[in-house]
Amino acid sequence: MTSPLLERFISEARDLLQGSASGLLVLEKDPHDEASINEVFRSVHTLKGSVGLFDFPAFTKLVHAGEDILSVVRAGQLVLSSELVDLLLDALDQVSSWIDHIDTHGGMPDGADGVSRDLTLVLRAVLPSDAGDAGEAAMDSTASELKDLSWVGDLPEAERIAAFVAAAGGSEILAVDYTPAEDCFFSGEDPLMLFRQLSPLHALDIGTTTAWPAADALDPYRCILRFRVLTSAPRAEVEQLFRYVIEQIKMAVVAPHDLASVSGDINGGPVYEDFVDEAQRMAASGDWVALSRSVGALLELSAAPLLVASALRWLRAVLTAPQPNPDWVKALIGCIAKAEPDLHPLPAVVIARPQAEIAVAIMPMAAPPSAMVARILDGQRVMLEMVKATDDVMGRLASVERTVANLLEAEGRYADLVLWALAITSAGTDGSVRPVTALLEIWLEGRVQSVAEEGVAEPQPAAEPLDGYQRRRNDVPDHDAKPANRILKVEQAKVDTLMNLIGELVVSKNSLPFLAKRAEEVHGSRQMAREIKDIYAVIDRLAQEMQGSIMAVRMLPVSEVFERFPRLVRDVSRKLGKHIALVIEGEDTAADKNIIEALGDPLLHIIRNAIDHGIEQPEEREAAGKPPEATILVKAFQDGDLVVIEVSDDGRGIDPEKIKASALAKGVIDADRAARLTDQEAVNLVFFPGFSTAEKVSDLSGRGVGMDVVVTAVEKAGGRVEVMSRPGQGATVRLSLPLSMAVTRVMMVEAGGGMLFGIPMDHIVETVRVRREAVRRIKNAEAFVLRDTVVPLMRLDRLLGVAAPMWFGDGDEEDAVLVVRVAGNLVGLVVDHFREGMDIILKPMDGILAAVRGYSGTALLGDGRVLLVLNLKEVL
Amino acid sequence: MPLRFSKTSVVFEEGCAVEEALPLLEFLQVHPAARVNLRACTHMHTAILQVLMAVRPKVATLPGEDFLRHWLTPLLAPLLVKGAK
Repeated sequence: MTSPLLERFISEARDLLQGSASGLLVLEKDPHDEASINEVFRSVHTLKGSVGLFDFPAFTKLVHAGEDILSVVRAGQLVLSSELVDLLLDALDQVSSWIDHIDTHGGMPDGADGVSRDLTLVLRAVLPSDAGDAGEAAMDSTASELKDLSWVGDLPEAERIAAFVAAAGGSEILAVDYTPAEDCFFSGEDPLMLFRQLSPLHALDIGTTTAWPAADALDPYRCILRFRVLTSAPRAEVEQLFRYVIEQIKMAVVAPHDLASVSGDINGGPVYEDFVDEAQRMAASGDWVALSRSVGALLELSAAPLLVASALRWLRAVLTAPQPNPDWVKALIGCIAKAEPDLHPLPAVVIARPQAEIAVAIMPMAAPPSAMVARILDGQRVMLEMVKATDDVMGRLASVERTVANLLEAEGRYADLVLWALAITSAGTDGSVRPVTALLEIWLEGRVQSVAEEGVAEPQPAAEPLDGYQRRRNDVPDHDAKPANRILKVEQAKVDTLMNLIGELVVSKNSLPFLAKRAEEVHGSRQMAREIKDIYAVIDRLAQEMQGSIMAVRMLPVSEVFERFPRLVRDVSRKLGKHIALVIEGEDTAADKNIIEALGDPLLHIIRNAIDHGIEQPEEREAAGKPPEATILVKAFQDGDLVVIEVSDDGRGIDPEKIKASALAKGVIDADRAARLTDQEAVNLVFFPGFSTAEKVSDLSGRGVGMDVVVTAVEKAGGRVEVMSRPGQGATVRLSLPLSMAVTRVMMVEAGGGMLFGIPMDHIVETVRVRREAVRRIKNAEAFVLRDTVVPLMRLDRLLGVAAPMWFGDGDEEDAVLVVRVAGNLVGLVVDHFREGMDIILKPMDGILAAVRGYSGTALLGDGRVLLVLNLKEVL
Repeated sequence: MPLRFSKTSVVFEEGCAVEEALPLLEFLQVHPAARVNLRACTHMHTAILQVLMAVRPKVATLPGEDFLRHWLTPLLAPLLVKGAK
């Protein structure tokens, strides 16, 4: 079952894979190319997101593993080696073959799970052991701070109490506001699924960002929901879970007293004075157990909606703590006594965890920070210095504060922690990061000095990855300002239909001149004829423009094909131990899609041949006085209405003698002919079917198929192949193809007593008139001499099986001879009359006519007649 | 097919993925009186939930799965058909 979504995914996935593969190759050359790292990471990440929409777990896992590696690479913790690139490319290849399978079969192939597991293990093995957590935590610490917490009070009381109880148990309560991007469903996000994984979840409030649109205007794939939760999961865990949407979430720690609010029905219920007195007494004596028991008993008696019940529930929650806060207990008892709603019943309490330990550990700046700590500290310092705008500074400061505090705590530097808190506070009050950076600098100086004393010096370069990483983070936020995609993806069939229709239009338009002629000749209205011609001129211009623009739609840059080559050259040259630089020129040259597609395989073949046969091993090259690194130049350019692609190498070139010998041995030619061949003709032998000079069959080229495959493919697309070779200096293969196959230029000729035939213009060399006397008979065949060359003469009538008209009379009469070139040989074709040349849209023969040989197709003429276009290769 | 449509009801089964959102919306637009049976639903994609919240169809049964039952009940309970549980 394929859905439109799946189809869209497949085409998108292919683009993404191509993008990441090219990015990886760039990275291999320059592992610090930040733009490429980001691009590759983003491609793989998007791919992972999209595949999540479907049930292909093996696929998802593998892509995920790749993404993890890339994320570590991006964070500068891992350097991309050639081996790693190989590994990643392998994974991408695997994914790409799965995509093909999904495309054809609608699902993953059997055994994909195993393949995925193996590859995933290999990939994961590369990851630094702690990178999974450390890397992610370091880069994701930027979830912005949630400022507005007023909604917390609106959550259902039961949920707030649940959170409160968790807080009383010692957990930190986080309020998270997640407003997904509107297009999040397209990137594979399922917010509900994320919250499902968030545990423990105390409250989940689902609302909308805007009012609901009318039901019929609702776009089910535009997300307008927003989520607010309370959770006691650790902050790092939340950030890890939301790491792909980190810019869409806001978080803040909620103090337990902010959760509480007492409200409800004021009237009714039993008398509480006794309870209040008793409770105050128990609270004063600290008898929490007894208090808790009587609270429970009273709750049983009170109706749930009552205000008092609400206060009692909170009281019960406060009492669940191992050490209940007496102030809170008193405040709640006060609430019951007053019986008034109170939105903030509990007095704020300063939570000061480290204070207890400070007394124990007074050792300020005892030991200098270790290398790793210094690196992180320096990174944080750089981070602070990078920001300029004030509002940004505060957000950044909060994240730096957390990172450094965690670090100091982990290192057990409680004294430093206090200094840090002081610096942060003073930074917060006067709005400058100066105190904080100053403190960081002091710590780092201590580090530098101590390093100098120990005689080990490397702190500066160590800071670099973080520094560079920070810069990268700054230019990432193009998520927000994503320009609207102005490119339409249209199915090719639709464009083809459009082109056919325009073709029909061109043909119908051609009947207007006939109509004009009729108006003049039959109806005698010259005026009418002129008007028709005027209109014809307008329609003609429009039709031409339409044709031009639809051609432009089908035009693709040759880079579509060239993109594959860097990978090919790299793989093949590594395999063969040759050093090759690939230079690509003119990749913007455009040609019709069909032509571009026809080019792919022949070019691949040519490049493989060049690497395998043309280019020598590095030692051999040095011996020949060449640089050890060979160059393959792939160049595309437009030449008139042809697109030309040249593949040149600076290898050993093609040896004509070797070719001749090989052709002789394979029986492609006989000895006689071999002796007569010029060097160029010998080189051209590589195009013969069944020819291959490779001594041994490698898995690269020389699989028994030779250049003849290339020739066939190119000729099918209406193009030509030439090979030029300079022995010892390299060879050049040149493919020339028409820009577009849509319109064929033909020359019309008359033969067989008035029948019209079209002959493709690219075969025609010239038209001559030959006096009948000048025709020589050689046995059964006829020939004539054209500028000192003997040209065989054929009669089209006879070739088509039409009886030739009898000829009597004098030899001064002339025959119309069309000189054509077929498969490299000149042939004279005798026809009755030459007619004009014209552009036609060639329709191949189909149905039962498809088997008729000799014709390449038909075209409609303006007067409604059908023109048969000859396929000269088959006719002759 | 995790969503089964009949003339008067939609039955959710197991996990309902994002691509079901559009068919669901279209169905509910055509059959405004149809009832939604969520009992066998184990997960619904957020897009599906959004459709339910926007269209507010009659709900015949709440989801049986813990997470959905716990967190979606406040949203879905007002839509519950009287007499149903």
